Amino acid sequence: MKNLTLPLSRADVDDLRLGELVTVSGQVTMSIGLPTHRRMVDLVEAGTPLPVDLRDGAFFHLSCYNRERADGSHEALYLNPTTSTRYDAYMPRLIEGCGLRLVGGKGGLDAASALAMQRQGCAYLSFLGGGCTLLSQAIRRVVSVHWTDYIAQFRLLTLEVSGLGPATVAIDAHGGSLYAQLREEAARRLQAPVHHA
Amino acid sequence: MAIAGETITQLAADLYEWSLKKVPDDTKAALAAAAPVERNTTGRETLVIMLRSADAAERTGGLVCSDVGIPTYSVKIGTRVQFDGPVRQAIVDGFARMAARSDPPILKMVTNPLTHERSHAGKDMPIVTFDVVDGADYVDITCAPKAMGTGRWEAAKTFVYPSLEQIEAFVLETVLESGSQACPPIVVGVGIGGTLDHAARLAKEGVLRPFDQENAEPMLAAMEQRLLRKINTMGFGPMGTGGDTTAMAVHADYSASHGFVPVAVSLNCWINRRTRARIHHDGRVERIE
Repeated sequence: MKNLTLPLSRADVDDLRLGELVTVSGQVTMSIGLPTHRRMVDLVEAGTPLPVDLRDGAFFHLSCYNRERADGSHEALYLNPTTSTRYDAYMPRLIEGCGLRLVGGKGGLDAASALAMQRQGCAYLSFLGGGCTLLSQAIRRVVSVHWTDYIAQFRLLTLEVSGLGPATVAIDAHGGSLYAQLREEAARRLQAPVHHA
Repeated sequence: MAIAGETITQLAADLYEWSLKKVPDDTKAALAAAAPVERNTTGRETLVIMLRSADAAERTGGLVCSDVGIPTYSVKIGTRVQFDGPVRQAIVDGFARMAARSDPPILKMVTNPLTHERSHAGKDMPIVTFDVVDGADYVDITCAPKAMGTGRWEAAKTFVYPSLEQIEAFVLETVLESGSQACPPIVVGVGIGGTLDHAARLAKEGVLRPFDQENAEPMLAAMEQRLLRKINTMGFGPMGTGGDTTAMAVHADYSASHGFVPVAVSLNCWINRRTRARIHHDGRVERIE
C-alpha cells in the first residue's frame, strides 16, 4: 500500500488511481464546520492568507475531538470522517484557492469539485466511516488549532499523522470519480424492472 | 417490587455507551460473510477494514464512529411493572450521565434546528418512544443513536392505493439517493401504511430488527428479498466506493391503512448501532444485545 507523505507535488497525485488504497503521513488539516468552510472561502476570496498554509497539503473532512490541556497545549483524542458532499458549495474554491493536493472524508464531492481537482492536481480520499478507533491510531501530535471560537470539531485543526488510513482514492486528479461512475451505473441498473416472484 | 429510577438511568447510560463502542454480533457476522464473496477488490478490502475497525473499538473501549448522533430510545413497558418514580426523566438523566462521564468524551452533536447551536442536550432530547406490552412483567429498552450519515437520506411519501411495484420503486429511489454517502452496507427499514408518523415508526423498528428474525408476513418476506437483491445489484458497495455489498438487510412491516398509504424508508449505516436490554420486575437487568 502506498504511503503519501505531505507535502505532495502534482506528479505525486497524478499517479494515484481510482480504487487504490493509500495511507497518509505528515501534517494534515481538518474541520467539519460549515461556518469554518464559509470563513475559509471568505479569506480566500479576500486574498487574505489562512492561518495555515495549505499549499501542496491536505484538507480533510475529519471530525476530531481536541481539547486544551491545563498547560495550554492541545491534545487530539480521536478522529473520523464525515460526509463531504455538504461542503460541495465551498470546495471548488478551496481546492484551487488553497492549492490543495489531497481532500477527503467520506461520500465524495460533486462534479464541480472533481473539475477543480483536475485543474489543481488534487485527489479525494475516502476514509472509513465508523473507523474512529482504527484511524485515530495515526495521530502523532497537534500542530496547531485555529478558530477556537468554534466547537472542537469545527476548528481549523492541523495534526501530524503517521500512516493515516487506509483510505481509498475515490476521485483522482484526472477528473475521474468513483462516485459519479457508480451513481450513473446504479441508476442504469435500476431501470431493469424488479422481478415479482 | 417497583423498578428503581436509578436502574433505568444507569441502563440508559450503559446502552448508549455500548451502542457507541460495539457493532452488533449479527452485523459483524453479515460483514464477515460478505467479504469472501465480494467481487470488487476495493470493496472486499473495505469490508475487512470495517471488521478490523469494529474489533479495535470493542477491544480498546474506543468509539466506532465519532458522530455519536442524537440519542433515541424505544421503551416497551410491561403492564404488570411498577416504578418507584418518573420514567422519562430517568432516561433523560441517563443520557446526561453518559455525556458527562463518557471515556473517551463525546463530541457535541445535538443541534438546535433553529440556531444550529450544538450541545450534548436539547429540547425533547433524548427522543424516547413508549409502548406497552400487555401482561408483561418487564421493561425492554432499545437504544439507537442516530447520526446524519444515514438520517439525511431517510424519506417518506404518501401514495394512493399503491401497487407493490410502486412501493418498492420508492424504496429503491431512496437508496439510490443515499448512494455512496450513507456508509454502506446499509440496513433498510420500510414502513407501509397507518399514518405518516406511524409508517416512520414502522420503518425505524424495521431497522432495529435483528437479522435472524424472519418476516411473518409472506408478502413482505418476499418483498424484502426482492429489494435486497436489487439494492445489491446497484454497485455502490462498502463505503460507496464500489462492490456488490450495498445492503446487509431489508426489513419491512405494515399496518392497516386507508386508501392513502404512507411509505417510510429508514436507513442505518454499516455499524448498525443498536443495543437492547430488559429490566425484569425484580430489578434484574439482562443485556440482550
